[in-house]
Parts: sequence; C-alpha cells; structure tokens
Amino acid sequence: MKFPLHRFAAALAVAAVAALAALPAQAAKDVVFAVASTFTTTDPYDANDTLSQAMAKSFYEGLYGFDKDMKMIPVLATSYEVSSDGLVYTLHLRHGVKFHDGTDFNAEAVKVNLDRVTNPDNHLKRYGLYSVIAKTEAVDPYTARITLKNPFSAFINDLAHPSGVMISPAAIQKYGKEIAFHPVGTGPFEFVEWKQPDYLKVKKFAGYWQKGLPKIDTITWRSVVDNNARAAMMQTGEAQFTFPVPYEIADVLKKKPDLALVAAPSIVIRYLSMNTQQKPFDNVKVREAIAYAINKQALAKVAFNGYAEPAAGVVPQGVEYAVKMAPWPYDLAKAKALMKEAGYPDGFETELWSAYNHTTAQKVTQFIQQQLQQIGIRTRITLLESGQRVQRVESWQDPKTAGVRLYYVGWSSSTGEADWALRPLLYGESWPPTLFNTAYYKSDKVDADIKGALLTTDSKEKARLYKDAQETIWHDAPWAPLVVEKLLSANSKKLTGVYVMPDASFNFTNADLK
Amino acid sequence: MNDRATLVADVEVIRTPWNEFWRKFKRQKIGVVAGIFVVVLVAIAIAAPWIAPYDAENYFDYDQLNAAPSMAHWFGVDALGRDILSRILMGARISLAAGFVSVAAGAVVGTLLGLVAGYYEGWADRIIMRIADVLFAFPGILLAIGIVAILGGGEANVIVAVAIFSIPTFARLARGTTLGLKRLTFVEAVRSIGATNWTIISRHIFPGTVPAVIVYFSLRIGTSIITAASLSFLGMGAQPPTPEWGAMLDAARADMLTAPHEAIFPALAIFATVLAFNLLGDGLRDALDPRLDRR
Repeated sequence: MKFPLHRFAAALAVAAVAALAALPAQAAKDVVFAVASTFTTTDPYDANDTLSQAMAKSFYEGLYGFDKDMKMIPVLATSYEVSSDGLVYTLHLRHGVKFHDGTDFNAEAVKVNLDRVTNPDNHLKRYGLYSVIAKTEAVDPYTARITLKNPFSAFINDLAHPSGVMISPAAIQKYGKEIAFHPVGTGPFEFVEWKQPDYLKVKKFAGYWQKGLPKIDTITWRSVVDNNARAAMMQTGEAQFTFPVPYEIADVLKKKPDLALVAAPSIVIRYLSMNTQQKPFDNVKVREAIAYAINKQALAKVAFNGYAEPAAGVVPQGVEYAVKMAPWPYDLAKAKALMKEAGYPDGFETELWSAYNHTTAQKVTQFIQQQLQQIGIRTRITLLESGQRVQRVESWQDPKTAGVRLYYVGWSSSTGEADWALRPLLYGESWPPTLFNTAYYKSDKVDADIKGALLTTDSKEKARLYKDAQETIWHDAPWAPLVVEKLLSANSKKLTGVYVMPDASFNFTNADLK
Repeated sequence: MNDRATLVADVEVIRTPWNEFWRKFKRQKIGVVAGIFVVVLVAIAIAAPWIAPYDAENYFDYDQLNAAPSMAHWFGVDALGRDILSRILMGARISLAAGFVSVAAGAVVGTLLGLVAGYYEGWADRIIMRIADVLFAFPGILLAIGIVAILGGGEANVIVAVAIFSIPTFARLARGTTLGLKRLTFVEAVRSIGATNWTIISRHIFPGTVPAVIVYFSLRIGTSIITAASLSFLGMGAQPPTPEWGAMLDAARADMLTAPHEAIFPALAIFATVLAFNLLGDGLRDALDPRLDRR
C-alpha cells in the first residue's frame, strides 16, 4: 500500500494540532498572588515588614519555621541541643539540601549567614534580633555550633523568625550587597525577575529537597495597593490569592461562588498605648477610665466588620506563654467615676495618634474619639504616615519632650514567643528610640520578670515569670488593649494549600492549582 | 392718595438700581430657582441644630452600622453608626460658611487692590498685577494645597487658603472695570471740581465695580465650596468628627461597594449646592450686565 507523502504530512499536522490543543489540560500552573504593599527588599535580614519576608519564603527557608498554628518546626535543621549554661547551641542539619545555584547547604553556609547578620558593618535591619550571637562554628558539614554572648532562652525562636533564612554562600560572595536583587536560597521556588514596583516572579525549583514539591510552576507576586483594585482582580480571576482582604469588601467577595474567603486567627494585637510619663496619663485611674470607656465589641464591628475579637490579655493567644485574661469590660459609669476620682470630672483635651493611615485606622481612631467623648476626653486625631511615625514616635530621642499621648498601634510577635511580644513593647529599657515602648512604661517587677525569663532554661519557671509580667502589666494598664484581629484572605477555589499564618506571613509550599 | 397714584403712573415707574435689577433678574427663571434654593440652604444651615433629627457627632447606634436609608434615618447611617441626614444638615453650615467667608475675604482684599492698581496705574499696578499673575499661574486647588501645607491643616486655614486664591481674580476684575470707568466723562467732571482721589474711588468708581464683583462673588462661592471640600477629602481640612461634606465623602470611600448611600448623599449635597451657586451667578450676570440689556 502506498501512502502519499502529502497525506502523511497532513496527518502529522493534525497530530501536532491535537498535541497543542491537549496542552492546556496539563498547562503550566501559573498563579498570581495580589498583595497590598510593594516589597521593600528580597533580603529578609534587611526587611522590617512582614510582607517582604513572607514573599521571600518563595526562595528562602530558615533553620526553623512555624506551622500554621505558630508551633515551631524544624526546617533546614533537624534537631538541636543546648548546653546546661544556656550559652552553646548545637544544631544538626538536614542532609542532601542544595541551593538553587547548586551549592550544598551545610554548616559552613549557616556560619556565613549568621556571620553576615551579626557583623554590624553590614547594617542589616535585623541585626538586633541576632546580636546575641557571639560566634558560629562549623563542627562538621552537618553540625553547627552557635555560642551566645549571654543565655537567651528564646534563641531558637529567633532562628525561626521569618528573617532567619539561609542564603547561598556562593551567591553572597558573588553579589555582595546586591544580593537583594539576586536571591538564591533552598526554597521551593527560584527567583526569576523583580520588576519594581509592579511584580516579582518566581518559578519551580526542580531540585527542591521535599520530593514532589512544589506542585505549581510559577508564582507572580503582584503589588496592588488599591483595595478595590485587588478585590476586582480576584473577581475577574486575574489573581488566585489575595491578602489582606479589606474588611469592608469581605461581604462582597464572600458572595462569589468561585472564591473562598478565609478568616484565620492571628497573633496581631491592636492596642492604645498611653504615655505614662506625661500628665494626665501618669495617673493609673485615667488610664483605667480610658480602657473602660472603649466598647471593644463595638469596635470590632465598626472598624473590622466583625473580623476581630476583644483582646483577652496583653499577649495574644497562640504566642507561647501567653496568659488568657477576661477582656477589659466596657463600663461607662465606672469610667466616669474613675475620671472624677482622678480629678478630671470634665475630662481634658489630648492628642490621638495612629501608627497607620489606612481606612481601618481611620475608623478605629474616629471610633475611639467617639467613645472617649463620652467621658469628656476630647481628642485630636492624627494619622501618621510611616515617615512621620518614625520621626515623631519611634526615633524620638528625649522621652521628656515626646509628643505621643494616646497612640493606636499593633504588634505581632513573629518569633511566636512571649519575649518578643513583651520586651520590645513594655520593658523599661525599650523606650523609643531603642525599641517600641510607646507607653514609656517602666515597672521594676515586669523588668525583672522579663530579664529572668530570658536567663532561665526551665520552662516552668519561664511560664511563671511571664505570667507574673502579664498580670502586672494588665493591672498597671499602660495600654487600653483593644482587639486581636483576624486575617482575611481570599483565594480562588481552584487554588489549594495556601494559607495565611497567625503572624500575617504566608505558607504556600504545598500550593496546588486544579 | 389718588392724586399721588396718578402722578406716579404718569412718570412711569421710578427706576432705582434695585428694582431695575429685580425686573431683569425675575426673567432669569433658572437663576430665580437657584436663588430660592440658596436661600433655603442658608435657612437650613442656620436652623440645622434645631431641625437635625439626631446629634451629628455624638449620636451613634452600633446596631445600625452602614444601614441603608429608612424612615428613622432618611439618608441612612454611616460606618460609625451616625445619622447621615443630621450630618449633612450640620455640614451645610460648615460648607456655606467656608464658601461665604473665604470668598468675602478674597473679594474685599482683591477689589481694594484692583481699585488701587487700576486707578493709580504705574508701579502699584505693576507690582499688584505681577503678584496676581504669579498666583494665577497655579491651578487653584494646587495653590490651596500649598497654602494649607505651609499654614497647617484645619478649617480656619482652609478658609484662609481659599481666600488667598480668590484674591487675584477679584483684583483683576476690579482693575479692569476701574480702568474703563476712570476715563469716563463723569469721573473727569468730578475730578475737575476738585474731588480727592479717595472720594473718586469710593464714591464714583467703586459703585461701578459692584455688579461685576457680585456676579463673580456668587460664581466663586461654588468653586470655593468645592475647593474646601476637596481639601477635607484629602484630609487637610475639617478634622473628625466634624461633619464636613468632603470629609464625609472621604470616610465613605472604604464602604462604597457595600454602602453606596454613605457617599451618594454628601456628594449630592456638594453637587446641588455648587450647581445652585453657579446657576445663580449666571442669572445675576445676565441681570446685571448692561451689554446684555434687551429691554
């Protein structure tokens, strides 16, 4: 039988077309994540914002990390031992892990990374978190020994902080300070390009150590600042995941059948700090009156559309050693009585600043203004933009002249541990500009507790000290604790395995697209 | 009585400038409607504290957040549980006051400068008009933002800013009219009998500039209300919890998808007020402009 050549060619063409048509069935799994801010850097050691660090988990991993309940889990390390004096940590590392550039991950890489951040000449923003390290040594390829300057019982939590990642030593050598533009890690995705300020793209890393992962081919991180634009991208299918979903838009997205709206628990506490060194807030009765005068339940409704809960303590549940307390009650009569006792029956005028200038902060501050008006406190609202916040609050040199009075702000302890939830905010030596004790609170008892807890290696003793500290703080009321917010994200129902962690970073190692 | 009536009828109606104006203005139907609207608005603004159904700042109902218009709340409830109608009524005070006060200040200063520049000419004219030109070079809102940036935010400063940016227009307007008037024979006649410069300006030239200034005044109020509302919208003007329309619009942005009424009512208030002032201004112009006289 003779088979004409042109027929053969035609058959071939048909086959080719069929093959092409079949391709979309197993098409590249490309997903777009729409986020609310631009990335400041890809170098987690040099980032102060949760978002940049969360994005960097595309290509970087740490020695330790957190699961979705904020429980610490080993990642590139497998286990550790600590010496009885609490000074020497010995870490055992995972075998067979490679960086994207082919370099082996080993103890030498750990040393290079920790030496880099602990060298003050590098001026990395997270220097403070790691400055407790005296030296790092590579004992053998898979054993690293870290010696601390002083005992610091939360040290492994520091390693699990999203900034503590392993960067390829070869890449650090090659790119030097430019490493932020050429990230090379061990993570599930390789860096492709960063078009500032629009997007950052990563692709699947074939040599990832967790077999079978990642399941998607590329992730494009898009920075879309406008809330409504982000919501629109989700509705048109331009993006498959977005965080945060503005509280006002939650109800709109909830109604879309192909979208899932997820409200995840968080360790983000929102509070009103009161400058305890200045009149009239030096009077504990005034501070208590303010805490009583704010209806926390109503605040959750007004500003968070119900996606928040009254704060049950100084440290949110989910953080290790957090002590749960009954939320501060709303009691107007008591608030008025306290104001009278304090000598301000007619109230006073004061400043109310907010650390943020977004709509939620606008609503929170106006709500607080409305509530405090009821006990005669008249407030002038200023929503600080980030530059003003640094200038007027965070880096203010002289506590005596600090202008901050009532200050609306929030905090999430990204080490998942009580130390980082208390020490930066309420320790006597953490007044601005050192750290963020914007209440200028100082209690010898709390200071001793925090210090003691860091030195002890006994977890029972640690729990006792942190409990005492939290109860003392609650009693002294340097803050009016407000709410713990929920983290609202939305994803296409086709996308699975992406979730927001309690500290507002993301986990997407197991992401898949149907 | 009878005699007198006959007498008046014989010499036709006595034509004072006022009933001359009224006779012409009556024909501007749209202008009259706009004028009535403005009068009602002013009445509302004055009576606001008594007619507002709720306290504009301190009434709140957290069970009604973002509620749509209803019998209890005609314009609905905002994101902080406040009654929008009450806030708009109280807001009328702020917007009208901002509009009137700022334009009045700008008109007084501007007209005075324009009279001086137009009457004396020479270096006074050159200095005043060059400064006016510099101010003219900026788009109005940009100039206002610049002034507020220097003076700081707040309602009072917004009024100052809007007044400053109204000055050059009035100065130019008064100067143009003055230049035309001072060459007319009646001015020369007054000068020849020995009147002082001050008398000539205040008694003979100034009245001639009034119609143009009045027309421009009413047109300018619309612009000023918009500018003041814009500054508040941008967070530089009225501070919370003041129920300023622009600030209300700004606060409504967040909930626009789910509760559009929070944006619609303040926007409508600004729109209707500004439109009314502009239409009133058009009507006044047609009534007062001698060139448009079609008796």
